[in-house]
Amino acid sequence: MKVVKLPKSKVEEFLSSLQDFGEVIIPKEKTEHPGVYYFDVMENPSEMAWEYLRTIIPPKKYLHKPREVIFKFHKEQGYQEVIEDKETKRILFGLHPCDIHGIKILDVVFNRDYMDPYYYARRKNTVIIGLSCLPDEKCFCKSMNTDYVEDGFDLFLSDIGEDFLVAVGTSLGDDLVAERAHLFSEVEEEDRRKYLAFRKKRNESFRLELDISDLPYILDLEQKSPIWDELGKRCLTCGSCSMVCPTCYCFNVYDTLNLDAKSGQRIKQWDACLFKDYALVAGGHNFRENRAERVKNRYYHKQFRMVEQYGKPSCVGCGRCIDACPAGIDVVEVLTKVREGSYVTH
Amino acid sequence: MSKPKIGIFGLTSCAGDQLMILNCEDQLIDLANAVDIRDWEMAKTNNDEECELDIALVEGSVAQVRDIENLKKIRKRSKILVAIGTCAVWGGIPAMKNDVPRDIMLKEVYGDKVEFIESKAAQPLSSFVKVDYNLPGCPIEKDQFLQMMASFLNGDMPEILNFSVCSECKMKENICQIVYKQEVCCGPLTVAGCGARCPSHNVPCSGCHGPIEEVHYDAEAKMFQRKGIKPEEIIRKMQVYAAPAWMPEKLMEELQHESK
Amino acid sequence: MLLTNPSQTVCKSYDLGSNPYKPELARIISIDPMVEDNYLFRFRFEDPDLNNSFQYRPGQFMELSVIGVGEAPISISSTPTRRGVIEMCIRRVGRVTNALYRLKPNDLIGLRGPFGNGFPVEEMKGHSLLIVAGGLGMVPLRSILLYALDNRQDYDRIILLYGTRYPDHLLFRSELEAMMYRSDVECHLIVEKPALSPDTPEWRGKFGLVTDLFDDVKDLDVKRSYALVVGPPIFYRFVLTKCLDMGFSKDHILMSLERRMECGIGKCGHCEIGSKKVCTDGPVFTYWDVINLPEMI
Ligand SMILES: Cc1cc2nc3c(=O)[nH]c(=O)nc-3n(C[C@H](O)[C@H](O)[C@H](O)COP(=O)(O)OP(=O)(O)OC[C@H]3O[C@@H](n4cnc5c(N)ncnc54)[C@H](O)[C@@H]3O)c2cc1C
Ligand code: SF4
Ligand code: SF4
Ligand code: SF4
Ligand code: SF4
Ligand code: FES
Repeated sequence: MKVVKLPKSKVEEFLSSLQDFGEVIIPKEKTEHPGVYYFDVMENPSEMAWEYLRTIIPPKKYLHKPREVIFKFHKEQGYQEVIEDKETKRILFGLHPCDIHGIKILDVVFNRDYMDPYYYARRKNTVIIGLSCLPDEKCFCKSMNTDYVEDGFDLFLSDIGEDFLVAVGTSLGDDLVAERAHLFSEVEEEDRRKYLAFRKKRNESFRLELDISDLPYILDLEQKSPIWDELGKRCLTCGSCSMVCPTCYCFNVYDTLNLDAKSGQRIKQWDACLFKDYALVAGGHNFRENRAERVKNRYYHKQFRMVEQYGKPSCVGCGRCIDACPAGIDVVEVLTKVREGSYVTH
Repeated sequence: MSKPKIGIFGLTSCAGDQLMILNCEDQLIDLANAVDIRDWEMAKTNNDEECELDIALVEGSVAQVRDIENLKKIRKRSKILVAIGTCAVWGGIPAMKNDVPRDIMLKEVYGDKVEFIESKAAQPLSSFVKVDYNLPGCPIEKDQFLQMMASFLNGDMPEILNFSVCSECKMKENICQIVYKQEVCCGPLTVAGCGARCPSHNVPCSGCHGPIEEVHYDAEAKMFQRKGIKPEEIIRKMQVYAAPAWMPEKLMEELQHESK
Repeated sequence: MLLTNPSQTVCKSYDLGSNPYKPELARIISIDPMVEDNYLFRFRFEDPDLNNSFQYRPGQFMELSVIGVGEAPISISSTPTRRGVIEMCIRRVGRVTNALYRLKPNDLIGLRGPFGNGFPVEEMKGHSLLIVAGGLGMVPLRSILLYALDNRQDYDRIILLYGTRYPDHLLFRSELEAMMYRSDVECHLIVEKPALSPDTPEWRGKFGLVTDLFDDVKDLDVKRSYALVVGPPIFYRFVLTKCLDMGFSKDHILMSLERRMECGIGKCGHCEIGSKKVCTDGPVFTYWDVINLPEMI
């Protein structure tokens, strides 16, 4: 892979120049809540929160929108396709490896079997520029094998002190560099050593660990484990964990009618398997009637069924759900308890 | 097709929901064109107080003896009766002090001299008549109201939301009041529809839309206690809106049990 | 830029121009009450080219939109061997289906599909088909029954066992009663009790459960047969045992399942059971799949 060097002194210039390509999305800090971050459109490169670790909502919000109109309809004319932001060129800047892995998983879900034209239209206009990070006590990407990315980005910036090493992942990324060649320089021996030192430091900084060896099999054996009832007693089924998860993709489709009772719009909106009506069918039968079954479903979908379906779990270890759960339910704790067979959570 | 005949009524209430309907500025003309508003004391004169109605929208809780008679009369003359606003759906703010005896409360509020109010513990419409559809909110949300009307105009029952405010709150990318601020937020218990208005203004949800179908009282109570919030505090905060209808014994028990 | 190059993944619709969510306008041609709250609707696409080229497999389903109300997954009851009209037998249960029942012939609706795997008509060639239906289970099975009859040379024996509680609930009754006199199909019908309504033609056939009809199936070479079984949950419990007793291997017993669906194309998550998506991996599953997936029935 081609790697070049970008001095930190030039990175703001680089960011500004990216606006020629399209909308630049960066992590920003919430002014009223220091230490809390969210992705938003960059107006000025000084807004870039270089120190950010995780945002409340992952960048999936730009690809698989929380709520979008997918059709306008009329009783006589039928359905007219609406694809929001179809022509918007976008750069997602500053994505950490876990979020890039998250997008890789969504790519598979939304393009396998049938192409989802809404996701695809936005995805193909999206450039991904990654950024290295140092983990905190809620990050466990290393355990999920998502702490590095070999692909899935156009450019990836690794912080080596005074400079960034910039890995070029795609031909488009190469163009972005070539068009701004004056900002970049060659990587030198010293830079390589700095990178290895950075990598070592990063590897040693992980504090949270989850053993996922054999996990699908263990889960299959523990289908009836009392831990699921324990969790059912604690979970509020508020759905926050799914909303903030970079790989949760479930949605509902519903229609809203205008007052003429003829026209309206069809809407696609995030949903979660934790909600009571998720598996409810006509006549009132609910395939996951009680809360425990629904909480359990979230773990099984991510750690068991996704492995069967796509060959890897759909948790990227970003720690967002640990952060977001008002009841303090912690995915690492839960799965560790299942493995240990100690079922009481705190 | 002839336009559906509509009546809009207020029992014991602040008229906030009726005001919200009047505030649908851009759509009010469309609405007025689509329906035939026959009886709306608050907004028009020449009301037909006897005619049969296709849809009756009723605001307010039953908190006076005469409300019961009015409500039963409305029920008789309408095909579809809709409870609009949390007072009508759950009892709402008027029900907040249901545990205080009425005579004491009347004295506190109006002094000794007042005799004309026959006040009683506030209750939702469904305690007295069959309600066909519930549209909660304090006040109701304009978009939800218009969509409900469109569904009725089309001959359908509107869909019922059955997930909590938290999902809307997260879609708005708010910080969580519970996690970050140790506040008592009713979001996980409360049905969505408001677009997480309060948490979006950095204020915890006070539950004004009333509960979701499957409220997890015990978990909620335990969760706050684990965070070191006192039972009285939890009850006080959660009792403001729909609390009497959806909180009391179970939560109380749970809290007392826990604190032992 | 896109990691999963869609042309490399198995894409059932890799046509950038096409939108699998988009309902196409179709017109209601006729509505025939079959039994109470269970009407047979006939549809035709507005676009004549689409109507002529439209192909599907027995056992597949469509997403039907009542414009302004919403969508519901519905099996196709007609056979692809008879082009030009799509038939669906639809029960009135909720929002969408109630709204559909308010429509009249000549009104417009939306259809998208076909979705799902359908019955493995190719694999089943040369085999006998034992079609066992309970109640509304006849709906998806009618398609394969007619299909097999229209391709009679491809299949060995074709046997239908169909039971309901009352004769009033028998779907496609006159069509099926006519089949009892045909020599190329063994058609056995049964009900538990006499007709409820005086308007229902009197029942002169057998009384009992659908499992009783298994006695009428003589000398079936189960190794060269498929059992196609669709019905309500309690029906499965007894019918599956019968099939296993007869010696059917688990992957020659086929069932069609229903789950909540929001997309029909494997995206929304709602229809998942175990590691399968009913909309794309199903709705037809083998009994082997079913016993290996928790939450299946
Ligand atoms: C593969 C498949 C084939 C089907 N074939 C037929 C058929 O041939 N004839 C027929 O009458 N019915 C069939 N059904 C069931 C039919 O889809 C439901 O009865 C219908 O969706 C009810 O919609 P509603 O809006 O009227 O009911 P409501 O109860 O108002 O539905 C509410 C919501 O639940 C969903 N829903 C409810 N029940 C089901 C269900 N069983 N499956 C999927 N989603 C559901 C609807 O999409 C809707 O969003 C089939 C279902 C599936 C999955
Ligand atoms: S399950 Fe939790 S930790 Fe894993 S990817 Fe989702 S939000 Fe992140
Ligand atoms: S099934 Fe549950 S865990 Fe899986 S993607 Fe959907 S919401 Fe997330
Ligand atoms: S965030 Fe926590 S309480 Fe809410 S649904 Fe998820 S696990 Fe349950
Ligand atoms: S702030 Fe309140 S509504 Fe928002 S996620 Fe937290 S608990 Fe839910
Ligand atoms: S119906 Fe959406 S995934 Fe199957």
